[in-house]
Amino acid sequence: MTTSPGIADFISRRAAPIPRFYGEALLDRARRDPRILCLCADLRASTETDIFREALPERFFDVGIAEANMLGIAGGLARCGFIPFVHTFSAFATRRCFDQVAMQTAYPRLPVKIAGFLPGLTTFLGVSHQAIDDVAMMRTLPNMTVIEPCGPEQMAAAVDAALAVDGPVYLRMKRPEGEVQPFTPRPLPLGRAERLREGRDVLVVAAGIMVPKALEAATLLAAEGIEARVLNMASLKPIDADAILEGARHCGRVVTAENHLVTGGLGSVVAEILAEAGVPTRLRRVGLRDTFAEGASPAWLQEKYGLTAEAIVAAARELAG
Amino acid sequence: MSAGAERQPAPRIRDIPRLRAIAHRLRRQVVTMAARKGQGYVQQGLGAADLFTALYFAEMRLDPTDPSWPGRDRFLLSTAHNTAIFYATLAERGFFPAERLPDYVEDGSPLEINASERMGPMVEATCGSLGQGLSVGVGMALAARIAGSPARTYVVLGDGEMQEGQVWEAAMAAGSLRLANLCLVLDLNELQAGGHIDGVIAMAPIDDKWRAFGWHVIRVDGNDMGALLDALDAARARAEGPTCIVARTLTGKGAPCIEGVMAHYMSTPPALAAQVLEELGETAP
Repeated sequence: MTTSPGIADFISRRAAPIPRFYGEALLDRARRDPRILCLCADLRASTETDIFREALPERFFDVGIAEANMLGIAGGLARCGFIPFVHTFSAFATRRCFDQVAMQTAYPRLPVKIAGFLPGLTTFLGVSHQAIDDVAMMRTLPNMTVIEPCGPEQMAAAVDAALAVDGPVYLRMKRPEGEVQPFTPRPLPLGRAERLREGRDVLVVAAGIMVPKALEAATLLAAEGIEARVLNMASLKPIDADAILEGARHCGRVVTAENHLVTGGLGSVVAEILAEAGVPTRLRRVGLRDTFAEGASPAWLQEKYGLTAEAIVAAARELAG
Repeated sequence: MSAGAERQPAPRIRDIPRLRAIAHRLRRQVVTMAARKGQGYVQQGLGAADLFTALYFAEMRLDPTDPSWPGRDRFLLSTAHNTAIFYATLAERGFFPAERLPDYVEDGSPLEINASERMGPMVEATCGSLGQGLSVGVGMALAARIAGSPARTYVVLGDGEMQEGQVWEAAMAAGSLRLANLCLVLDLNELQAGGHIDGVIAMAPIDDKWRAFGWHVIRVDGNDMGALLDALDAARARAEGPTCIVARTLTGKGAPCIEGVMAHYMSTPPALAAQVLEELGETAP
């Protein structure tokens, strides 16, 4: 086979590789625990599993573009004592093979760790690749744990949290873009909200990419004299109901912010908890509202569909007014 | 994860008349179980009785006193509704007392119409949603390979089930991984809910499909005990990749009044059950 000169230029245009905080953490844990296996459905680089394949090829399996089969294989491996991590985009790990997730991981409570990338509106690849309903599906499954780290600083902790659960876990993860500022790794305690900012006027409950936006919103609100308490809800299930209820009672107003439909995800969880506890509070939910998006740049999409600090500010201002 | 010491809890029965006698007892049990509530897949159970007998009494390494023994062979009933014959077989093999069989499809009983792992470790996966069993089998066969275990994995798949796309994803993976420790038994009774399989979706050529996906195919009469044993021997002896035993079975086998009747859901009222039992006879033909 001959290769045209210069063809490599067209294979990858990326100047520098995206850091692999998740992939490195998984590989590190796998070196210490021989039960960990890595499965992938033809998305090695995009799910940061290429480095696993290079380092531990005998424990890496690319099953091809066949997510349903991947979940079934993972179930079989888990039943024989292994801890398989399966990797694909979030939309394909949930919507495409929900029945297999339910029957081969959740019902039997197997230690299959489902690692999904491209949450919500973080990809230009269009509706097929945009997981806007995955949290709703996964959190409603009995026995399933749902974790969404808020950024690179929680990636390693997300892997540890997944391993700490003796059962199926869904990891909803966003890879970093461009240059990553130096950071200090942070823990991700299951079932515990992380209070990132203290305030008495409004409680902002956020997850994933909406966490830094919530902090940005809190700064903007402070300039208007509105003090926001900000919670990072990386542990979506189990969820820290006490932190939500205590924060709601303390602030009297609640804003949720999620990179997802407001139905079924974080906004719904918070509404359910508040309503069942009978806590009188005003609530606004920031997120997609009964709509699909489209293929476009993530920044443009997040602006268009209101996944912004400004949207959080507007919701908080409305409640405070 | 280690293979554990080699053990064969019970000697493999190779005596064909003895195996036929077991299959006959299982057939009678299937009819008795289904007759109690008028529910259960009698046609399919009678058709598959010889497959189950060959697998559980001649082929697989299992220990009824220690059903989760890590070194055991794995059995997955992907057609998870064919439970009358499955439970009858498990009881006959000693996994639980036959006195529990009358609980079949009773409310609250783990002997559900679709096999659930609520039964215990002898139900290796919950497969009522068709098309999933072979994927789990690929995972189990792969696990045995990684762990260096001699355990083999057996999957019984229905022919209508081949219409599920996931079956072919799994078939492709098994062929690609050359999983010689994986044996699929295709229960080719040509019957699905909508009638004859080819009347729903044209399935032929079945053998060529599996060959094209990297499997060694052995076609047998699935009601011929000797042929089944030979096929299982050949599959076990093969080191190159997975084997698919295409076992042509006859629905209702053994009771002429229902033999070949193409009814997926057939109720068994007392009069019919009595007639079937009479035709089956007290002892093996």
